[in-house]
Amino acid sequence: MYGRYNPPFSVEQEGIAISVEKTGEQWIYRRTLGTENVEKIILGDEKCLIINPVEPLNTPKEITPNLLIEFEKHLLLSGGAKRKIFLTFPIEIGVFIADKEEKNLQLLDVLSLVKQKFTLYGEVSNGVICKHWKSQIYSISPSPNPLQEGIIELTLRNTSSDWASISKVVFSAYGMKLYYAGDVFMRARMDILNRNTAETGFDLQHLSGELKSSSLKDFKSRKEAFGVYSLQKLGFVPLKFYMGWGF
Amino acid sequence: MIVDLDFLDTNLPIFDGTVTLGSVIKFILILSFSTFFAKILSLYMRRSLKDKVSKDAGETIIKIVYYGILTIVFFSNLRLIGINPSGFLLAGGVAGIVLGFASQNIVGNLVSGFFLMVERPIKIGDQVQISDVAGYVIDIRIISTLIRTYDGLLVRIPNQQVFTTNITNIVEHPVRRFEHTIRIRYSDDANAAIWLIKDLIDKEPFALLNPSPSVFVSDLGDSSVNITVRIWAPVNEWFGIKTRILWDIKQTLEENAIEIPLPQRVVHIQTDSKKVPDKLEPVPEKEIESVLNYEERVLA
Repeated sequence: MYGRYNPPFSVEQEGIAISVEKTGEQWIYRRTLGTENVEKIILGDEKCLIINPVEPLNTPKEITPNLLIEFEKHLLLSGGAKRKIFLTFPIEIGVFIADKEEKNLQLLDVLSLVKQKFTLYGEVSNGVICKHWKSQIYSISPSPNPLQEGIIELTLRNTSSDWASISKVVFSAYGMKLYYAGDVFMRARMDILNRNTAETGFDLQHLSGELKSSSLKDFKSRKEAFGVYSLQKLGFVPLKFYMGWGF
Repeated sequence: MIVDLDFLDTNLPIFDGTVTLGSVIKFILILSFSTFFAKILSLYMRRSLKDKVSKDAGETIIKIVYYGILTIVFFSNLRLIGINPSGFLLAGGVAGIVLGFASQNIVGNLVSGFFLMVERPIKIGDQVQISDVAGYVIDIRIISTLIRTYDGLLVRIPNQQVFTTNITNIVEHPVRRFEHTIRIRYSDDANAAIWLIKDLIDKEPFALLNPSPSVFVSDLGDSSVNITVRIWAPVNEWFGIKTRILWDIKQTLEENAIEIPLPQRVVHIQTDSKKVPDKLEPVPEKEIESVLNYEERVLA
């Protein structure tokens, strides 16, 4: 389903039906998912639609930029160690309208096939609301349904000398960069600072170079997804997330 | 044209004793222009800060800049009307005391406004309850605070009242808990009802996983078994989920043959008549005599 579409078109997969048809002088965008129907009028020619995975923080309503991934099992990391693990994360599908040159993007629609749930990270008085997702820990990249789940390659680095017991990780959407082809992929890191605090962030460089030699997938073929958060005009927004209430 | 300033109070720190009409007009023009400039700058700042900082922080910055410009321009141009700014400050101390007594309420509101901006118990955009007024804070001015009630009415509360009364900030914390009491019949399975409610909460995105919701039998009432449902929700979503989930619970329970009972009273009517004698038995004569004798004894 992911890719670029020139109107008129119609695409249908896993219960999602998206179409753009011309009615008179205007284009009509229609999307159906279960009982939910979205219909919008597009005025303008020479446009294309781009459907790609976006940050999983827009549905059912954008109330937080933070994603909390809870591990199904606790993970213990020895002091000073650096390890790489794979997790899954929920996918939201973004539909953008753009010029033929894929410039001047405007978000048209966002939908999701996965269960939505929110949680609080931290204290009632000063914690942060996060989108919640539960993931298994994988040592090799899993192969989930790309319309529902993506893969995070998470590099854990314990900068302290103590063992670290990790049960969750929180990311800020402002730093997220998604790549897609047959799957949806992100690279992230988690630096454990001490027993209770850690810092998470995303690797913003393009997936080439060091990853090209990786045997997991042909990363070179992956395309960078347009993000909802990257479209917003950001002020001084921290791209990292400081986990100050434990992990 | 030269105007003599002898008519002015001699306590005022006159700079050189004389002032021209031109300088007075210049002073007024500078003040007017500065006010105009400060307003334009405020508008520009409001527009440019809109997406970069929160509305509350933006409004505070704008107010500081606006009043800062006016204060600087006012004091730096006092010489035009023949007042020495340094002497004015000294005289201002005495005048301040006099003015303070004369306008206690205004000064009180002004000082309270200052402390409200420093302590920040409320911010622009917050949902608050101040005394018996509940609504959205739409502005915190130097003298008063403006509240838009949930009915859409504008209420102006003097800052002194805001500062000295109890303030409930509804949206200060990120999450908020609400509670429902669900009544089911004694004949219904309470465990099944609890399971159904928990399943419903699990499907509701804004019912937070942490702090976890709780569903439990809280009371065995006269007519019903009472189940308490406590759910934490994001503070901006709690009202929507509170109203939505109550009806969802009612429908789900009814779909599963668990009903909310009406107040009822069970009346037991005893139909067996063991205590009623079958036939009247004749009372022995001796017993009648003893009763009569007893009455006689009492009367005697």
